Amino acid sequence: MSAPTSTLDAFYGKKVLIITNDGRTLVGSFQGYDQTINVVLTDSSERVYSSHQGIQTVPLGAYMVRGDNIAIVGEVNEEEDAQLDFDAIKAEPLRHIVH
Amino acid sequence: MLFYSFFKSLVGKEIVVELKNDMSLHGTLDSVDQYLNMKLLDIAVTDAEKFPHMLAVKNIFIRGSVIRYVHLPAEEVDVQQLQDASRRDAEQAKHSTKTGAAAAAAAGKGQPTKDTRPDQSDKVAAS
Amino acid sequence: MLPLSLLRGAINHPVLVELKNGETYNGQLMNVDNWMNLNLKDVICTSKDGEKFWKMGECYIRGSSIKYMRVPDEVAEIVKADMARNKSRPDKRPGSYNNNRGGGGGRGGLFRGRGGGPGGPGRGGGKSFRGGGYGSGGDRGGHGDFNGQASRE
Repeated sequence: MSAPTSTLDAFYGKKVLIITNDGRTLVGSFQGYDQTINVVLTDSSERVYSSHQGIQTVPLGAYMVRGDNIAIVGEVNEEEDAQLDFDAIKAEPLRHIVH
Repeated sequence: MLFYSFFKSLVGKEIVVELKNDMSLHGTLDSVDQYLNMKLLDIAVTDAEKFPHMLAVKNIFIRGSVIRYVHLPAEEVDVQQLQDASRRDAEQAKHSTKTGAAAAAAAGKGQPTKDTRPDQSDKVAAS
Repeated sequence: MLPLSLLRGAINHPVLVELKNGETYNGQLMNVDNWMNLNLKDVICTSKDGEKFWKMGECYIRGSSIKYMRVPDEVAEIVKADMARNKSRPDKRPGSYNNNRGGGGGRGGLFRGRGGGPGGPGRGGGKSFRGGGYGSGGDRGGHGDFNGQASRE
């Protein structure tokens, strides 16, 4: 059997976006993970979405996110990301994951 | 393990995944593991207006525990084969439960529960 | 970098822990085990809504109740450097990441700072997780909330 979480190896050193179970969006440099998908980010920040104003970015620094609180880890295409107009992107905050 | 095998047979196919936060996205299934964690390539969020969070994100890892539904490509699913495999699996589970319980009883030790429930053993092994 | 390596490297440094129930704990990390259970000292606990604070000398946090942890940037740098060093050395010892080069408390005021106003931009009508844990500190003075969060207003 292939190693369960080997798929996260592709993210090492890359800029990733994590959507957490409580609806937060974290962006940072992917530094590592373990078998329960606990993840380490550095230079991380939270992107706060709101329906009445653009995206707010809150710097957080080095962060460890526990795996049971992670919904999605995605690789950020930095070029495309740089093109985004954060002030123009408005959205309701994400819902919490309800099991 | 049955659905693990099942999803492995869908690698390379386009699927739609609905999460337990109501977000729904589609992409090509790249890999899956025993927890049904999935990696999808070239994803797009179904309602990008409502969920603009992943506009610059193409490849994602989804934790199996947050998946509510997976919409399957009907033409790629061999229903007959799935039914047969389900029956085999159920039959096997029945047997292994019996033998597991018997072994535990024979051993007479205080830790039989982990052996009698095969669905738990994965978690135990992984933690 | 394994998450637990980072945390072991953060021993004797200030950390911020947010629990699944929304409470946050600021304190100095004393110990961490393989289940991520923690011992903290000189702790300030902040309630989910950021309204209430408790000071405690020591506390124990069960790993499974943790949502996030924030550690000082320099800890991440040190652990990374140690890993690179240990990679090139055959006798690498796990747990050796806890060294205190750079002087114990580092720059001390890492998670300290000035909160701005209460709360962030209310996300989704009151059921926000982040009401005051962030940015609620300033006018209550000196309880050592962490910086940056307040700018969200």
